[in-house]
Amino acid sequence: MAEPAAALPTARGRTGVLAALARQALRDARARTVVFAYLFAVYAYIQPVGYRHTYPTDASRRAFAESFAGNPGLRLLYGQPDQIDTTAGYTAWRVGGVLAIAAAAYGLLAAVRAGRAEEESGRTEVVLAAPVSRATANTAGLLAIAAGIALLWVAEFVGLIAASIPAGGAAYFALATAMTAAVFTGIGALAGQLVPTRRSALGLGAATLGVLFLLRTLADTVSGAGWLRWATSLGWAELLRPLTDPAPLVLLLPLLTTGLLIAVAAGLARRRDIGAGLLPRRDSADPHLWLLGSSIAQALRGQARVIIAWLAATAAFMTILGVVSHSLSTADVPENVQRQIAKLGSGSIVTPTGYLAFLFFFVALAICLFVCTQIGTLREDEEQHLESVLAQPVARWRWLGGRLILTAIAAAAIALAAGIAAWVGATAAGVRVPLPSLLEAGANALPVAMLFLGLGGLVYALVPRVAAGIMYGLVAVAFLWQLVGALIGPPRWVLDLSPFAHLALVPSQPFQPVSAGVLAAVGLVGAIGALAAFSHRDIAGP
Amino acid sequence: MHTFVGAVLRVTGFTLSNVHNFVKAMDLELMDAINARGLTKRYGDTLALDRLDLAIAPGEVYGYLGPNGAGKTTTIRLLLGLHRPTGGHATLFGVDAWRDPVTAHRRVAYVAGEPALWPSLTGAETLHFLARLHGHTDRAYRDELIARFELDPRKKVRALSKGNRQKVQLIAALATRADLLIFDEPTSGLDPLMEVEFRHCAEEAKARGQTILLSSHILSEVEALCDRVGILRRGRLVDEGTLAQLRHLRGQTVEVTFVGPAPTMPALPGVSVQRVGDNGLRFQITEGVGPVIAALAGHPVAALISREPSLEEIFLHHYAEPETGERDGNSADVTANG
Repeated sequence: MAEPAAALPTARGRTGVLAALARQALRDARARTVVFAYLFAVYAYIQPVGYRHTYPTDASRRAFAESFAGNPGLRLLYGQPDQIDTTAGYTAWRVGGVLAIAAAAYGLLAAVRAGRAEEESGRTEVVLAAPVSRATANTAGLLAIAAGIALLWVAEFVGLIAASIPAGGAAYFALATAMTAAVFTGIGALAGQLVPTRRSALGLGAATLGVLFLLRTLADTVSGAGWLRWATSLGWAELLRPLTDPAPLVLLLPLLTTGLLIAVAAGLARRRDIGAGLLPRRDSADPHLWLLGSSIAQALRGQARVIIAWLAATAAFMTILGVVSHSLSTADVPENVQRQIAKLGSGSIVTPTGYLAFLFFFVALAICLFVCTQIGTLREDEEQHLESVLAQPVARWRWLGGRLILTAIAAAAIALAAGIAAWVGATAAGVRVPLPSLLEAGANALPVAMLFLGLGGLVYALVPRVAAGIMYGLVAVAFLWQLVGALIGPPRWVLDLSPFAHLALVPSQPFQPVSAGVLAAVGLVGAIGALAAFSHRDIAGP
Repeated sequence: MHTFVGAVLRVTGFTLSNVHNFVKAMDLELMDAINARGLTKRYGDTLALDRLDLAIAPGEVYGYLGPNGAGKTTTIRLLLGLHRPTGGHATLFGVDAWRDPVTAHRRVAYVAGEPALWPSLTGAETLHFLARLHGHTDRAYRDELIARFELDPRKKVRALSKGNRQKVQLIAALATRADLLIFDEPTSGLDPLMEVEFRHCAEEAKARGQTILLSSHILSEVEALCDRVGILRRGRLVDEGTLAQLRHLRGQTVEVTFVGPAPTMPALPGVSVQRVGDNGLRFQITEGVGPVIAALAGHPVAALISREPSLEEIFLHHYAEPETGERDGNSADVTANG
């Protein structure tokens, strides 16, 4: 039944081209999609199971629920709690908020990849030089993303079903998460039309995610600001109230928004030149010779914008959260409930100090993610221009060492900015907490970041192509290990496998020099190994 | 006796350490700009470079030829220590660039076939940065080169065409006035006028005594610039020598036109015969012309043209032919001669 080869293009026509392009895009995204799907399934499964294990009786669940009615600390991360004295309510609360952010990241990455990275690499030009219309190429990219999101939906659904959540509720819940991915696909598609490079489109998308997350945070933590939930797509996922009190009409919001964003993006795509963005760009400039004296100086020049964005975002978040810390008090939380909260691995988060300490746990996570982004740029820079640097009298260890040191310094700056900003916010709200103890809290977040930096350098030196992916995975697994593990209560040594388990909750707990020293020392050994391994491998050319 | 000789030497100012320094200086003077011994590179299952022996003297201009994927860029990356040799080793002015890239690269400038630059920097910023990394640059010459290559230094690299990015690399490399210039297809993307400009620059560098390794596909460029040529095929150096040597070894072509139909020739050793029209014969001669002249005696010859093969013919000859043991034997001879 094989058709003659020459007849293929005409016989299969537009749908054949569409399918071929979509298949290629799917193949391109398979690693990322599989990792996300795995994360979704495991996380959706483990939360309801852990809850039933930790709070087996109605009484314990009620006590747990009461303690959270007034706790903005956890709302910040997981969103507005609803009926968390039931497995369904707890699951919706713990799974929904976190997976919504993960889904947003997936949609953003996929859309920027399809809409901008392909074009920046010149591949779009090759495709469009063939008898393929822009609309077909665009549709194929979107189809592939839709298939990826569908897979994430299946993963979350399966995870929930496996944890005995009713099928109907699980399907609707997974749909709420998938909708966030869809909205961010639209945001990524639009960002890709506005700016001409993958990096800047991702930056624009990430900034949007940051603002929407901040809006949700304010809606969930500041009394009277609940209406803000309507203004952020991350809030819509909460307003859908999966598993507890479904409001399916809200689905119209993400559906319409996604459609609108994608239509606008497609409209813009038809109007502009391939390879260009819609925002004007300067292609000529007078020479600025600052920070061009050495390869490390030039690296700082190249990364300056990214580092400043991280500093600004950290400072903004920590200032706001510092203000929020004021609203916490221990007066109305019974002691047994406090013990339960402590089991979450978050210490005593019902006091301002405890809450701030809990926040710095997340600062540590953020800095680790910053380290991962920097490991990712090492590979990009290697492919783009490293050959030109190393063909000069520049030692390899100097280049890689310089980049690792630069990342370490930037991480330290972010940590200190977090400390200062939290102090400013808390002080402004009238919480008495000394600046040095919050600076200490910031510094305390560094050793674990140094560990991942050293390991990241080593992984980059050994397997550059997949280094960033491996490091994001390691950080995510280590962090969830700590968050989820503490809830289920496995043996101590299992928990200790995560570097985050060795993070003292400064300032509510004293700084632990031995743990911090060990984490940093492992990082240092990794970095030294990285320099040794890096001088023994082939450098990738452009 | 020893003390006597020692005293004489001391009186004449001739000490052992002097001798040592003198010999060392001589050695450096005579040291190859590029020397590779048994240089081999394997990427997974692919043998990219197979036991390459290469010796390029200071001041020499060496043309490195080969079809796509023959291993030219691999050779250059190994010479620069960007990739690690699977076997053998290479030195630049006596320094192994894999072991000590910093020392080796001080005397080298490199133009990559695929420009590896920073999209957000302008041409001027890129040149400044590369000059700082290299540590030595002739600024006046750099400005002259910017004018000669008609580069707009205010333009950002991301807005430059391939040819213009190539110019940025060329200017950066030439302006260092390094002792050794390694060019990997330097004129790819350049327009013909700029190609001529490049040729002038390379000739000037040659006149100043700089060594050049020129990997190229443009045979006229190689023919015009190079003292010696090496031909690479599937990772092996199959031929090497001066252009005159290559021509001589590849033999010559004699075309004979007869008065009336061409006669049938007897089989001659080292000669292949081809019929050209009714009246002509083409002889491909690898040994000497003597037997052909002898065989032609008595036949009515109207015209006789003899010519040496062009570089293109030598090149095509190597590419078209399947690899044989005989060819390898030849190449070993040539290497020994050259």
